[in-house]
Amino acid sequence: MRPPKRRRLYLVLACGLCFSAAVALGLAAFSSSLTYFLSPRQLVAKPPPTGQSFRLGGIVQVGSVSTTLSGTTPTTHFAVTDGQAAVNVIYTGVLPDLFREGQGVVAIGSMGPGGVFVADEVLAKHGAAYMPKDVEQALKEAGKWNPKFGPPPAASTWNTMQVKAGS
Amino acid sequence: MNEDVLPAGRPARAGGWLHYLANPARFMRVAVPTLPWLSGAALLLCVAGIIWGYQFAPADWQQGDAARIMYVHVPAAWVAMAGYAALAVCSLFSLVWRHPLADIAAEEIGPVGAGFTALCLISGSLWGRPMWGAYWVWDARLTSVLILFFLYLGHIALIRAFDNKSHGYRAAAILALAGAVNLPIIVYSVQWWNTLHQGNTISFTGGSKIYITMLYPLLISTLGFYLAFIAMVVARICAAICERKTASALLAAAEERA
Amino acid sequence: MNPWPFINGAYGAAVLFLAGAGWLSLARYRRARRRLAAVEKR
Repeated sequence: MRPPKRRRLYLVLACGLCFSAAVALGLAAFSSSLTYFLSPRQLVAKPPPTGQSFRLGGIVQVGSVSTTLSGTTPTTHFAVTDGQAAVNVIYTGVLPDLFREGQGVVAIGSMGPGGVFVADEVLAKHGAAYMPKDVEQALKEAGKWNPKFGPPPAASTWNTMQVKAGS
Repeated sequence: MNEDVLPAGRPARAGGWLHYLANPARFMRVAVPTLPWLSGAALLLCVAGIIWGYQFAPADWQQGDAARIMYVHVPAAWVAMAGYAALAVCSLFSLVWRHPLADIAAEEIGPVGAGFTALCLISGSLWGRPMWGAYWVWDARLTSVLILFFLYLGHIALIRAFDNKSHGYRAAAILALAGAVNLPIIVYSVQWWNTLHQGNTISFTGGSKIYITMLYPLLISTLGFYLAFIAMVVARICAAICERKTASALLAAAEERA
Repeated sequence: MNPWPFINGAYGAAVLFLAGAGWLSLARYRRARRRLAAVEKR
């Protein structure tokens, strides 16, 4: 490598290092606004003012869902939890297909009276685990996993598991 | 490989093959005979992966058939990021070693990479509507991939924006290298911040959170997309080299007549 | 919600893009090689 090339290489590396450091510091500084949603714990620790719109994310608490129909639009009460805190949510409208107990959701809305989160929109946040229905059934029957209570067990225990055909 | 067409000075040290191939004439000698095989393999694997994913892969326990979009969305996303990494490497070679082929490669990678990024965004938003309930959300993963798309577009425009081509190459190379900080942000966005986008399924260190009958079509289609990207870029680089040779031959002929 | 229109859309976009971009690249490659061969023969 001849000197000018080596000099240019060091110059590019130095610029890259400085630029990456600047971006990293910028991201760290704006980390809170890059977060798409608040968890119930964050909400309890630092509640936003009533009426301010924000996003609340967590797991739909098992046994907390109740739906009432007024006319054709359903109104759903449920609680969103992160295992440490829970927030009650009320939503009027049709929920996404994936909505169920134990499902990750992000609700967009604001705090209403009585500490209830009034959602204008509910989005489903699905997990990163992909498996056919019969594998899930087999895990359930073996008592290794219930989707209501969190993500599946360590991937290596099921990603090549043998399943009876047609079960 | 024909030894007689290869001139002296074969790569001696590790990594030397990049320098070795950086000569356009040598690149053509290697690329032109490889291209039919590359394109054939890409076509075969893409067709196999797409048909397998669309028709024969099992439906997901939670997402049902909509999870089939994974077999085009995930490979497109990986190729989009790998393409940008290749663009950054070419830019480094262009800035530091002034390899002429690196400039041509950077110019030709841009549009193909932008196409794969667009495919990733389109298929992702068609996945988001039935599963999340929204075509688009401004979470860190989606936003950083959109930024990747705009970086590609900026690079495409910048590298062609100057009358003096070498100015365009320098400016675009700096843009590509600066934009490379976006790549780790895309990969780790789902870990660093709360996002609506799910976490990474495939992991090289731990077990991948995907059942084996869904993993195979994903790998086939990923390999197919990668080969398709490489074949398109290599064909475009060869075309660009030929176009340049044609232009300079025509210019020389015109000067001779004058 | 029926997911098939979305699946078909995503796969349609993928097939259209791969076929279109592949065909354009190949056409440009062939044209460039043909033109160069014609110029070099003169």
